[in-house]
Amino acid sequence: MTEFKKETININGVDTAVYSAGEGEPLLFLHGAGTFHGFEFAKPWADKFRVIHPYHPGFGESADDPAMDTFHDYVMHYVELLDALGIDKVHLVGFSLGGYLAAQFASQQRERVKTLTLVAPAGMRSDEHPTIDVLATPGEELVGMLASDFSVLEPWLPKEPDPDFIGDRYRESTTVARLLWEKPWDPKFMRYLHRINTPTLIVWGQEDKIVPHQQAELWKQALPDAKVEIFPGAGHLVLDEKPEAASAVAAFAA
Amino acid sequence: MTARFNFMHFMPYVHLPENHKDYKSLWVNFPNKYYDPHKAAALYDRYLDELVFADKVGFDAIVVNEHHNTSYSMMPAPSLIAANLIPRVQNARICVWGTPPNLEYPNRLAEEYAMLDVMSRGRLEVAFPLGTGMEYWANPVNPSTARERHKESIEIILKAWTEDGPTSHYGDFYTYRFLNSWVRPMQQPHPPCYIVGTGSPETIELAAQLGFGYSAVFVTKARAKELNDNLRERSAHYGHQIRPEQMPLGIMTYVAETQEKAEQEFTDHMRFFFEDALRTVPQFLAPPGYLSVEQLKARAAVGDKMHGSFDFKMVSDALFVAVGTADHVANLIGEWGEMMGTTHFNIQGALGDMPHWKVMKNMQLIAEEVMPRVRGTASSAGAMAAE
Repeated sequence: MTEFKKETININGVDTAVYSAGEGEPLLFLHGAGTFHGFEFAKPWADKFRVIHPYHPGFGESADDPAMDTFHDYVMHYVELLDALGIDKVHLVGFSLGGYLAAQFASQQRERVKTLTLVAPAGMRSDEHPTIDVLATPGEELVGMLASDFSVLEPWLPKEPDPDFIGDRYRESTTVARLLWEKPWDPKFMRYLHRINTPTLIVWGQEDKIVPHQQAELWKQALPDAKVEIFPGAGHLVLDEKPEAASAVAAFAA
Repeated sequence: MTARFNFMHFMPYVHLPENHKDYKSLWVNFPNKYYDPHKAAALYDRYLDELVFADKVGFDAIVVNEHHNTSYSMMPAPSLIAANLIPRVQNARICVWGTPPNLEYPNRLAEEYAMLDVMSRGRLEVAFPLGTGMEYWANPVNPSTARERHKESIEIILKAWTEDGPTSHYGDFYTYRFLNSWVRPMQQPHPPCYIVGTGSPETIELAAQLGFGYSAVFVTKARAKELNDNLRERSAHYGHQIRPEQMPLGIMTYVAETQEKAEQEFTDHMRFFFEDALRTVPQFLAPPGYLSVEQLKARAAVGDKMHGSFDFKMVSDALFVAVGTADHVANLIGEWGEMMGTTHFNIQGALGDMPHWKVMKNMQLIAEEVMPRVRGTASSAGAMAAE
């Protein structure tokens, strides 16, 4: 099985942990608001691509930068990261909060995106099928809402209450709060989505309890060239739960 | 010794529904359908009368504070309580301890407090708390920048009070093109200021920098001593000599004729205070970014023993709880004053669901039997009569 190699790259003062594996066209994966469930699903992608999965500033193994409090800061962070890696264009894959970020990156930096895949992306406002407010939901409830099959999460969860685990989650929530506390969505977001002119795949688990899969239709309407694949029997963590969802991501980018 | 005694009221809404134990938190999301305005009106009348009585029996100051979305306190706007009390309270100083500056526009808070200071002829004292974690779930303010905003808000308030206007302020959170409060405090340069907190090192540092007083709430005796020592040291570092009266010491106090009677009369109300009034969940205590990750981990490691559970012995051993005869209580207060290096006692004598008669009796006994003993002014006849 492919093993990822870690390097730490200082981007504008922030030590950023970047894991990479494989060769071929670069595929950049942007993770969601919680990183505890790992990146196992990304390993097969390395058979075809140079897979790059960084930790965002304020998450996992990357350093904090409290001054980064807008999505624009994160878009610019990835512009600078790609520059540092000498990469011009990527297949961009974003999950959940990372999907919201990927969509913003693609609308602002479309010349650097070859294909775009949004996996259960956050950020879309829907009164009919609203996204759960992850900041208002207690952690112990949220964890039960992440997957359709809880057993995929169990290996990643502590057996006993663990202050370090709680601290790590609190740190990541803090980073999310910097971005989303005042407004869980950006009223200006829809205004520029039409600029995404790259082919886009939208992937969702049909039992997603965090971001309802019905939002896929709104994305499809907003994006010029998008197709949707919904996976039955999967929750929000559709990539962790369904290997065929991860395969669909690789097949689309290939 | 020279000693100052405040009487602090929490003003809880005590008419909880029978099924209230079904709710893990009586803060933030406890349904407000259980609030009855008629019952609340009667409670306001009663609580305000109690504070007026505190003045009559000789307390030096009365203290009110602010909380939101909770039956714990009926004072989401403590300045209104203070405004009600000013014409009724003849001598006591009025302490609003206080509105978290983050929850109001700083110029408006500066004006509001200056109004109270003017109307009370210079009897106002204020505290600038960061606000509990719970307040950040109830108000539209980002907890992840709470500390920075808090600091800037206080800076604006002090500027509004002490600099001739019009002036201006261009900060990270607020822009004032014309800062020019047309109410100026009567006390110069400004009313006495404190910060009230639960012992975060960042908060102590801020109090030390500003030369403010500081009072820690809900910390153990040992920790409180550490915090006062630290405050003295850090204040000196910034060139401020902390005076004993700048370190108010909160003491849950109940006095009765015998030790047994005092414990018996008080314990259930203290239980109500910890189990019911304070009951909440870790999520609400620490919204994202409100604590540093280190603080959060430290608190997660020791667990929370204050917000929802109660053991009389544990609580009275850990915290400043003075319950018993006047002699016993006076001795404790004197001892703790010495240990903490303070002469300023914030008496919490209306705790939980105490009925009116107990509050009144307690207040009178403290004023007539305890305060003179601590001050060393008790007449021997009075002291003997109380034996």
